[in-house]
Amino acid sequence: MGVDLGDLFKKEKISFKDLHDRVIAIDAYNVLHQFLSTIRQRDGTPLKDANGRITSHLSGLLYRTANLVEARIKPVYVFDGKPHPLKAKTLEERLKRRELAEKEWKEALEAGDLVKARVKAQQTSRVTDEIIQQSKELLDALGIPYIQAPGEGEAQASYMVKKGDAYAVGSQDYDCLLVGSPVLIRNLTSSERRKLPGKQAYVKVNPELIRLKPNLKTLGITHKQLIDMAILIGTDFNDGIKGIGPKKSLTLIKKNGNVENVLATIGVENPPTLEEIKEIRKIFLQPKVTNNYSLRWNPPDKEKVLHILCDQHQFTQERVETVLEKFSNIDNIIKQKTLF
Amino acid sequence: MFNVKVKSDVLKGVIDVVSPLVNEAKFNITSKGISLRAVDPAHVAMVDLQVKDKAFEEYKANEMELGIDMDKLASIMRLSGSGDIITLEYDEDTNRLIIKIGNLIRKMGLIDTAGMPDPKMPNLNLPAKVVLKASELNQGVRASEAVSDHLALTVDKDNFELYAEGDTDTVNLKLPKDLLLELNTTTKCKSLFSIDYFSNMIKPVKGEDPITIMLGNDNPIRVEFNIADNKGHVTYLLAPRIESE
Repeated sequence: MGVDLGDLFKKEKISFKDLHDRVIAIDAYNVLHQFLSTIRQRDGTPLKDANGRITSHLSGLLYRTANLVEARIKPVYVFDGKPHPLKAKTLEERLKRRELAEKEWKEALEAGDLVKARVKAQQTSRVTDEIIQQSKELLDALGIPYIQAPGEGEAQASYMVKKGDAYAVGSQDYDCLLVGSPVLIRNLTSSERRKLPGKQAYVKVNPELIRLKPNLKTLGITHKQLIDMAILIGTDFNDGIKGIGPKKSLTLIKKNGNVENVLATIGVENPPTLEEIKEIRKIFLQPKVTNNYSLRWNPPDKEKVLHILCDQHQFTQERVETVLEKFSNIDNIIKQKTLF
Repeated sequence: MFNVKVKSDVLKGVIDVVSPLVNEAKFNITSKGISLRAVDPAHVAMVDLQVKDKAFEEYKANEMELGIDMDKLASIMRLSGSGDIITLEYDEDTNRLIIKIGNLIRKMGLIDTAGMPDPKMPNLNLPAKVVLKASELNQGVRASEAVSDHLALTVDKDNFELYAEGDTDTVNLKLPKDLLLELNTTTKCKSLFSIDYFSNMIKPVKGEDPITIMLGNDNPIRVEFNIADNKGHVTYLLAPRIESE
């Protein structure tokens, strides 16, 4: 998902302490997908309630949010709106991949290959409308604000950072930098353990911070050229050019200035049309965003949280109550006014 | 160009004023002195600092900006003793600040100041003004730290009062007008502040030195004092806490 530009950027290791009192706009789709794929049992079955409904996202959201608030970080979740028509193909491919993974998961289970089963199961994760609805209800009960983006969630989140309403976008996805977020934070987890994609291996991770401007300066390109690089590599909105990865793309764009010139110099089959290039640039440079949001944090409505998690989804009451204690810090967050 | 000699204590004083609020600071340099204005990441407090060229032992500078990692500078300055004279020199070719402490030469990489904000001072209408000795205020704040994370400041026409309340303990410091260097207000004013922030703001002022406080009702506080033998001036703004929504 998104463009893999990771190797090109300089990342700063940070800790939760560095984010004290800061607002982080979290890409909700990204984080929910992460919960759904990682919070699973050994054979790959997601957490489920008594009625067989998936609860991995609720568990993830509760613990993640609690840890952030406890560290005096102010999270706001940004949900995706309508996908751009150019994304249809990507979404279709994802659906196909999920269906295939579903089949392979079952086969692996039958064959008794638990490791493979879990890997395949993770690939079946899907953020459904129901999951989004339940997540929003839980956030409401927890007193945490969320925003419905008109288009891509990461674009809205980036816009909020540019405006100064948030300090950084929290996402694993480098696309936030394409939409111009000045600061991206990856690995916004305190558990310091993260699964390697496609493998049953875990690595220790720290939150890391990536600043757009200094990185562009080091790479010697403009923001627009970064987008052109992404178009060559391939984005959610177009297939890339075969054989062009991040490094090659950087060299080509620096040498030729823009995508059009690169394509004119190196003959490729089925290059993106000029209209497509224009449209993709527009998606990243002038994304659909809204000013219609308010950032307010409230103490959690304990009864409501318990009702959602314990009555509806059979979470253990004692555990939920312990997690809710971490929200006591929200009081400090609410009562302290800001200068502007 | 930036080439100065400065007493270790003066530089340490600047660090004490700035570093509680920001890790990275942009100093504006002119031929007349240095200045800085910064807001902490949470937008709760602002510092405005002016240090005149006369505060330095030697001062030669043209207009420029220096982006400084405050933690790094603080740890370097811990290498100096209180009587030392420190030489600071900007090396344009490597974009570093060369710091000489005695025979020690420490070259420090500077931060890119592009994109670092120039915050505007908000317009505030603060009707109450109090000037008092740092030691008096310090005592009250130190006592409050032990009982709560916030304190209330009140000014009426006769008294300045500090009050902190914890679960079991309270602190009260009442200073009548005749114990203050100045008290001036048209109405009674009261605001609450985070002790964390407030205590850091008054820490740089020592002993009998005066601190000026301007207060409103549930409004930010303005704290002003001089540093560097009165050749430097500091203004802090701190947003209030409110008791309940």
